[in-house]
Amino acid sequence: MAEARYLKDRALLYVPVFSVLAILCAVILLLPYDTVYVRDRAYLSVFLVTMAACIAVFVVGTLANVLIWMRGRGLVGAPEGRLLRLSLRAVRSVFSLRIGRMAAVLTRDALYLSRLKERSVTRWLMHILILGGFLGTFALDLVVTFSLDFLRYGPMVSDTGWAKLWVRDFAFDFTGLMMLAGLCIAAVRRFVIRPKIVRTELPDAASILFLLAVVLGGFLLEGMGIAGRIPGHETEVQYSFVGYAFSLVMPSSAGQYYDQAWLVHGVMSALLIAYIPFSKLFHMIATPIAIEVDGLLAKEVPRT
Amino acid sequence: MKRLDISKLDVLSLMRYDACTRCGECTATCPTGGEAEDIELVTPRGKILRLRELYRRQHGLRATLLGPREISDAELKELAEKAYECTVCGQCKTVCPAHLDTIEMWENMREFLVANGLGPMPAHEQIVKSIENYDNPWMQPRTQRSRWSKRIEKEVKDALKEHCEVLYFVGCTAAYDPNIKDMAVDTARVLAKAKVDFGTLGNEEGCCGSTLLRTGLTEPARRMAEKNIALFERAASPVIVTSCSGCYKTLRQDYPRLGKLDARVVHATEFVLGLIESGRLTPEKRVEGKVTFHDPCHLGRHNGLYEQPRRILASIPGLELVEMDRNRAESRCCGAGGGVKTAFPELAQKISSLRVEDAERTGADILATSCPFCYQSLKATIEAKGSKLRMMDLMELVRLSCG
Repeated sequence: MAEARYLKDRALLYVPVFSVLAILCAVILLLPYDTVYVRDRAYLSVFLVTMAACIAVFVVGTLANVLIWMRGRGLVGAPEGRLLRLSLRAVRSVFSLRIGRMAAVLTRDALYLSRLKERSVTRWLMHILILGGFLGTFALDLVVTFSLDFLRYGPMVSDTGWAKLWVRDFAFDFTGLMMLAGLCIAAVRRFVIRPKIVRTELPDAASILFLLAVVLGGFLLEGMGIAGRIPGHETEVQYSFVGYAFSLVMPSSAGQYYDQAWLVHGVMSALLIAYIPFSKLFHMIATPIAIEVDGLLAKEVPRT
Repeated sequence: MKRLDISKLDVLSLMRYDACTRCGECTATCPTGGEAEDIELVTPRGKILRLRELYRRQHGLRATLLGPREISDAELKELAEKAYECTVCGQCKTVCPAHLDTIEMWENMREFLVANGLGPMPAHEQIVKSIENYDNPWMQPRTQRSRWSKRIEKEVKDALKEHCEVLYFVGCTAAYDPNIKDMAVDTARVLAKAKVDFGTLGNEEGCCGSTLLRTGLTEPARRMAEKNIALFERAASPVIVTSCSGCYKTLRQDYPRLGKLDARVVHATEFVLGLIESGRLTPEKRVEGKVTFHDPCHLGRHNGLYEQPRRILASIPGLELVEMDRNRAESRCCGAGGGVKTAFPELAQKISSLRVEDAERTGADILATSCPFCYQSLKATIEAKGSKLRMMDLMELVRLSCG
């Protein structure tokens, strides 16, 4: 009986999760992209396969981490069943009157990082820049991918369209610059100033360096595009103000390697996503959840 | 191969281990790991990372795919020992940018260590035996528990025999330690002065179980709690006053999770402040001196009572209150909590010395507190250091002023 229940719990969790994952990967791989970012379709295919694989690794890694939480005390049943019930409860909370309070807690404690601001404005600024830049870039990426590659929205496609200039060029550079500034503060603090409370081990250094490589890679790529006058980087280049600055120190021949550089940047970005559940970056997911669930679970987890 | 049983770790705690950002904010203010010892593994971050690394070896994705990996006894022993060097003062909870409830994490970590045969420390076992055999951690006979009350001019009522509006829960340290007994005597005198209808459980009162809970021994603590809760039901007093901050935390926060507690639990500082502000008690006599107040962790960070003791001090004529640099939520621990004084007395003294130095820097001549454990620890350090500070309990100051 217990065995049957356990199998049912596992099936109820894994079948939907992996079905959604499979659909997502299929969407990534099969949708008819009409991208302006890379000219060689083979490179695009390699990137899409890598991205699908990395998203799968991200989901599996995150699920494995969350299932460790579910092995703890305070809930009954198999870890998979516990996760299912808690997920349903979380969904119900989102559609309940508690949503206002939950949103306030999330904004104040997880996004605005109120307590960190009280302790150190420099560190708060550093985190806000990295977090804001990361979330902003991620959101822009989704918006641009859909409006440009699928919808072919005119102002996003046209070289002089408002969406192209302000969203694809300016906003992307702005959020990227936020991340770059935050990461530079973090790198200087961690590797140069080295305050006593900072402990640098491989996972700490790897996370910063990985993020830096992706952000700097993005700006280098943009600089190469502008310097080489690659389509999409020919007019009104000052909107890509950071990429433009990079282009000033690049030869026009750099454009020859634009597609290869695009692939490297794309693959690194995908690998960064896959790396999150296995790195200290997982706190980006775990901390907001812990802050929210703390209130949600309090009555369900008797300590003794 | 030894398998770690993580089913004793709370779901929330496991989440919090992943939510730690490794920022190290906690290491700067941790009285043990950061200040007295400077050992990373004793700091909150150190403990979190080590325990997470160990259980992931056996329960992580890699362990699921390739099988669990060995954890050596030495690694486990080291983690357990360092985990018990924490005073559970809660300073890390105050400063954590990720809002982790580290107090719950450390207490839960100790339960986990006990469940896995790694805790408590050998020195704690004597306390467990004492509590089981004598209902107190001081190896003192039950018949001596109410001896302190002989010093009260008026007989203290037995709350189990006659109804009292207030049940005074004395606590083991104030009841048995000859150097701390004044705390119980002064509290009782202050209550009597305000004509409060109060009584005690006499020799029937048992240890609240705080020491057991803080060291991860939940089962014996549950038994003590059940025993006391049954006595509270018999006494049927609507209010329970404790003069010990540890008892206060235990009765107020832990007992409701262990059983039904109808009475309202208040600390003596809250209760006496109410008496003063309602005019039932008037501190009239001048008590000359410059006083600094040490916030007990269980009263302050664990329960948020910071202003009540200060308002009492402000009401006493002649007293000048000066604050230590680290006060209220930032207050440094006295070093005695979390079973540290029992298992690691030298470490406790080291931490306590730092706190006494904090107090000395203020230029105060009186160091006041409202917890017998802090009092005991700080007083011993003041004497050992030959400090000019005079250790006093808050109720002693009130009693002197109220006559």
